[in-house]
Amino acid sequence: MTYDFDICIVGSGAGGGPVALTLAEAGYSVVVLEKGPWLKETDFYKDELACCRRSVYTPELSDEQHVIEDLDSSGHWVGEATADSGWDFWNGNCVGGSSNFMSGFFYRLKPRDFHLLSEFGPIEGANIADWPISYADLEPYYTRVETEVGISGAFVDHPQAEPRSTADFPYPPTLEHPVSGQIDKACRELGYHPLPTPRAVLSRAKDQRRSCEYSGYCGSYGCSSGAKGSARAALLDRAVATGRCEIRPHSKVYRLASDAKGKVTAAEYFDVDGEQQTVTAKTFVVSCQAVETSRLLLSSTGPMHPDGLANRYGQVGRNLLFSAGGSGTGDFVYAEMSAKDADAMKTRGPFVNRGLQDWYTLDDKAFGGRAKGGTVDFLLRHPNPIGKAMSVKWDDDDRLVWGQPLQKQLKSLFTESQYLRYEIFCDWLPTDNCFVGLDASVRDKWQTPVAKVRIGYHEHDLKVGRYINERAVKVLDKMGAKNIRSSISGSPPQNLVAGGCRFGNNPETSVLDADCRAHDVENLYVTDGSFMPTGGSVPYTWTIYANAFRVAEIIRG
Amino acid sequence: MSDRGEGISRREFLNRIALLGSLAACYPVAVIAQKRLQPEAGRLPAWCSEDPWKTLAEVQQHLFPASDGVPGASDIQAVVYLRNTIENPAADGEDKEFLFKGVGWLNELAQKQTQKPFAVLDEQQREMLLREIEQSQAGRNWLSLLLTYLLEALLADPVYGGNPDGIGWTWLEHLPGYPAPPRDKSWYKLGSPVRYQRKA
Repeated sequence: MTYDFDICIVGSGAGGGPVALTLAEAGYSVVVLEKGPWLKETDFYKDELACCRRSVYTPELSDEQHVIEDLDSSGHWVGEATADSGWDFWNGNCVGGSSNFMSGFFYRLKPRDFHLLSEFGPIEGANIADWPISYADLEPYYTRVETEVGISGAFVDHPQAEPRSTADFPYPPTLEHPVSGQIDKACRELGYHPLPTPRAVLSRAKDQRRSCEYSGYCGSYGCSSGAKGSARAALLDRAVATGRCEIRPHSKVYRLASDAKGKVTAAEYFDVDGEQQTVTAKTFVVSCQAVETSRLLLSSTGPMHPDGLANRYGQVGRNLLFSAGGSGTGDFVYAEMSAKDADAMKTRGPFVNRGLQDWYTLDDKAFGGRAKGGTVDFLLRHPNPIGKAMSVKWDDDDRLVWGQPLQKQLKSLFTESQYLRYEIFCDWLPTDNCFVGLDASVRDKWQTPVAKVRIGYHEHDLKVGRYINERAVKVLDKMGAKNIRSSISGSPPQNLVAGGCRFGNNPETSVLDADCRAHDVENLYVTDGSFMPTGGSVPYTWTIYANAFRVAEIIRG
Repeated sequence: MSDRGEGISRREFLNRIALLGSLAACYPVAVIAQKRLQPEAGRLPAWCSEDPWKTLAEVQQHLFPASDGVPGASDIQAVVYLRNTIENPAADGEDKEFLFKGVGWLNELAQKQTQKPFAVLDEQQREMLLREIEQSQAGRNWLSLLLTYLLEALLADPVYGGNPDGIGWTWLEHLPGYPAPPRDKSWYKLGSPVRYQRKA
């Protein structure tokens, strides 16, 4: 049997990039099918309309959408199509995926994240499971990501620090904002351990990629210097340079065909003209981000897979994870500061780069004993001016504001104060109320069923969030912030998503084996965040990169 | 625009600046920037003499009036931005149709209540009418959409036709990012196929 390629990767983000690079460098022929366009450094500008107010990097919702199932006021799960609600669940559909648009705030998981069940015990209503691998198995790949993707940081030991095999990061920290020093001071006075946030942004040039140019517009924006460690800039460009990796943009895979033995034989996709195309390969790797990966497997029925690929026990799509927590905000009013401090606060460009992991594990009788906690990260208000201005378009009575009252509010909003925020990241416990399915009626523009996502959360997540919030808010207070407000909610951040195809040793309760290969499909791997049975309390990207490098080595053999 | 009142008019100001000729180099950057934007700013383009653009531009002026130190709708070229946006190649036509229809409704109401079109009403009459149409869902959506495009005109990159020379950014002491988008990389030319979607 001949194949078009040795390896076919569906999806070109953080899960696909490491596999493409590793296997192309090892001599395999690789094709990467990406639904979106192939945008490069020369296509990325600091344009708020392109990044954040129009569907340039994500599909138009009337073409492609999701159905989100949430509890209504009477306790029933009700689905609403996102084209109707405007709640966009896409995160970046282009070569490199949403890693193009991350802010690159990177943390590793810690050893205890790999065996949450053994370490902290079960929680009623949550499907907590230990991972089939340990931190030690993944550590070399976390380290590898530091150099391959490029992570800038400075290791500071602290009571909850995870072990690392190298002394420090390969790139020094990115430039830091003057407010970082004030955060440090407040934290230390409170007895906390402020940590420099590692960032997947180059602080000095690497190969074709330039160092960060500190425009101050990073998260949500594509990077024009190449400093941001997107899968495209850091990995795929190099994979293509081997001459053995072909990237096909505008290629929307709608089905993986499988044969009578259950093996995947071909990826079927629509090209830019809407024509159906097929590509064959020996091995298939799916990495479309959690929701779309589950959707693709569920859509890929075959003679041995009547309910979808790898879905013999109905596990595909289950135990979807977001990130739990919330945020707090405090205002810093320039008129109440010295001119020097006000100028410092107005600085635009460098990163705040501060986090707290003092409560990564909780051990407090008041909370109810030992429990998994989370991470706090500090950041200034996003500089996007239109988004900011839109916040004063409506008054408290829900009337439109215009004329001089609008102009006065704009002037005050932009020129009188800055705000500092913190975000709390806790485990989103896996439950039976958070999963991906196929919607029975809504279809995309190619007439295939869209993903239906139920977004239920566990009350325990809020309890953890509130506990950390009570402590994090003290930092803003200590810093002299005014008008401090915070909230912890069970609303899912759609950009922090994992799970749905958890890996494990038992085929009846997991989709993938410890190698992230489907239990019942010998040539199918999943390398995005779908594999995670529990999510940890940090953004997922570093772990996705590391695991994808690990799986790539397994495939390479 | 009145030639009376506060010191000199814009036109006079422009003429004086022009007379300075090579001395302009001695002027602070802000004044030079202002000089560059004067020929377009403060006046409505010729195509605004007819509806629907005439009424739309007048509504914009009311929603975002110019005053001392505050750029108004015409200074930020809100109507140019609006036209570029709803008539660009990626627009789906929905907003355009809705905005144009709204002009009809507004003028109908204006005629009914004052026997005059909106464009000739005084400020107080305009305010009353717009607050009245805000009471209906359609009227509210129409005004909300116009305000959204006004704020975009004020603060989006000048490549889109509003915010000339960053006048909106300067007014709000906002530091834009870099690099700025060149004309051939405006959002509707990126990727392909890309169509228009307004996000909340």
